[in-house]
Amino acid sequence: MAPSHRTLAGEITKGLLVENPVARLILGICSSLAVTNTVINGLAMGLAVIFVTVASSALVSMVRKVVPGGVRIATYIVIISGFVTLADLFLRAFFPDISKTLGPYVPLIVVNCIIMARAEVFAAKYPVVPSIADAIGMGAGYTWVLLAIGAVREILGSGTILGYTVLSEKVFTPWTVMVLPPGAFLTLGFLIGLINYVTMRRARKTR
Amino acid sequence: MADTVEDVKEASGAGEKTGIVVSSSPHVLTTENIPRIMYSVVAALIPAIGVSVYLFGLRALLLIAVCITGAVGSEYAVQRLRGKPVKAWDGSAAITGILLALTLPPGFPFFGAFLGSVFAIVIAKQIFGGLGYNIFNPALLGRAFLQATYPVLITTWVEPFASAWGVDAVSAATPLALMKFEGRLSPHMALFFGNVAGSLGETSALAILAGGLYLRYKGYINWKLPLGYLGAVAAFGGIFYLINPARYPDPLFHVLSGGAMLGAWFMVTDMVTSPTTPSGQWIFAVAAGVIAVVIRLFGGLPEGVMYSILLMNAVVPLLNRWTRPKVFGEAAR
Amino acid sequence: MKNSSAAMVIVLTVTTVVVGGILAGFFHLVYPRIEANRIAEEKRAIFAVLQGAEKYDVIEKEITGAKGKKEVVRIFKGLNAAGETVGYAFIAEGPGFQGTIKMMVGLNIDLKKLTAMKVLEQVETPGLGNKISEARFTDQFSGLLIEPRIEYLKNRKPEKPNEIQAVTGATISSKAVVNGLNGRINIILGILVAEAKPKEG
Repeated sequence: MAPSHRTLAGEITKGLLVENPVARLILGICSSLAVTNTVINGLAMGLAVIFVTVASSALVSMVRKVVPGGVRIATYIVIISGFVTLADLFLRAFFPDISKTLGPYVPLIVVNCIIMARAEVFAAKYPVVPSIADAIGMGAGYTWVLLAIGAVREILGSGTILGYTVLSEKVFTPWTVMVLPPGAFLTLGFLIGLINYVTMRRARKTR
Repeated sequence: MADTVEDVKEASGAGEKTGIVVSSSPHVLTTENIPRIMYSVVAALIPAIGVSVYLFGLRALLLIAVCITGAVGSEYAVQRLRGKPVKAWDGSAAITGILLALTLPPGFPFFGAFLGSVFAIVIAKQIFGGLGYNIFNPALLGRAFLQATYPVLITTWVEPFASAWGVDAVSAATPLALMKFEGRLSPHMALFFGNVAGSLGETSALAILAGGLYLRYKGYINWKLPLGYLGAVAAFGGIFYLINPARYPDPLFHVLSGGAMLGAWFMVTDMVTSPTTPSGQWIFAVAAGVIAVVIRLFGGLPEGVMYSILLMNAVVPLLNRWTRPKVFGEAAR
Repeated sequence: MKNSSAAMVIVLTVTTVVVGGILAGFFHLVYPRIEANRIAEEKRAIFAVLQGAEKYDVIEKEITGAKGKKEVVRIFKGLNAAGETVGYAFIAEGPGFQGTIKMMVGLNIDLKKLTAMKVLEQVETPGLGNKISEARFTDQFSGLLIEPRIEYLKNRKPEKPNEIQAVTGATISSKAVVNGLNGRINIILGILVAEAKPKEG
């Protein structure tokens, strides 16, 4: 059942660009738009999602032969929400400031389609090691997109990057729209457009 | 061959019989006709431009010039980049630039105005496929973008005649803001002639009316749209005035203040973003008018014209479907 | 495993119990830290609005608000090193442009002036409404007279001791702050006056 034609490295790298969850599969859009008004929020969210995806993919893969098909979705949700609650409690205990800025979006990782999709599409069918590799790649793909959106929005919306001023208010009036939801949609749209353009050009060259 | 846009729209409605799909104009028009209509619209905007320069000085003219440059320039750039025939000089981009400028405060920074006009053309128009394919009125979407981008600058107004450059002028409140936040009404005559604080082209109802009537005379705009919009604004605003005259402004104030006039004559009537069927046009205009009054009276913002038109733009395809004339002999569904 | 009802029930029950057990254990482990974070934050906010306070007592009082809803009001009595009362702090809320604005407010011991105001939580428009969190706005509340009520002015410098200037372009947010304060101050004053009476009598 293991994917013999694929390598472990391939499982990791496919999530970065070719099957990027946000930019190519358009999954996990809600949180990518909601928490990316600064880079640091995007980073915290990305790390939390990597943790939950890896942990739940590993566990789902382990129990995949024991769980009857009829209750598999319910079982996955219990597993995923368990890890999400762990992450939420951990942030609240050790990083209260980040937990406060991320607000309700940490508990909402439960309904992040990326994690459910990886459990259902990949971890439920493959052994533990490839499942972990797949989850790392998907989580990393999600995280870099969040960082990219967060960087654009933070620079244009607040004139800062990671909290450090790069564009002084004297020369640049911050674009408030970039901190607001429309700015997230615009940035994501341009990013997806850019990625599609790059992949199309690549495909044309190889042909 | 149809002579005017209105005829074209009616013809396209009747075209159902021959299996032609109802769609936005321009379609049957030959290419020479687009610039002719567009430059007539530009001519119709000249009174409003003139009044804005008279009231707010040369800076107003420069602001309009910046917006036209941004709009026409980005239209040209996008068409070149996409390898499409360059039609940037057909006047439609210029109108977008002028209309956007007319919705901006006189002291608005040039860079912001340029950004807004580029957004209007690139995002609101060209990404959808260019003239005839855009869902939303490009100038209004540009204005909405600027509203979200520079919320402070776009609500900083100056008194007319305050300064030739409009920069160091004393900040003032628009008649709608005065009404909403302080409960003060501006005199009708000032609103009609434009001697109030506000965006470049929205202060003088008279100048816009002159341009609008000229376009109506030329047959380029459909009377149902401005009439339905202003009528709904007056009637719906009037209901609240009758309920409580002390709290709500009178219908005439609603019609004359803010962007109602400019919106009714130059934005609701946009050929591309308004419905093609007569009953669809009535629904479109009246619903937009009602939304504008609801936002003005009960929303967080003092002015609702921009969002009212944009919201109704979004349902134009649905209106076109629902109000499609029945084919003769077709059974009721 | 086969798709029998028994298998389904067993697997789902076991998963739920195991996950629930782990979560309960972890919660037990980190709860003291979460609680400590919450108290530390409350403390920071209280000491920020009550100068000279070193510790505080909590006064709790149940009131019946509008629409008959019962609510427990918490007032923090700030004490200095010598144990004397330096003022009262309380949390006020107001409906802002997009969400609730939550503020920590310090009240002078004479119950006539505010000592300071600090915005704890708000989701107002960045660059506009969120200026209510900035010192330029909140500093106006230090020493502000609360009688007969706090008033706000637009684009004008305050003249009377009970007036503040609203943030330019963000009247709604400023109004929410002032209305939230005025409403809460009345309730707090009622409680504090009632508390003080028995001692006099």
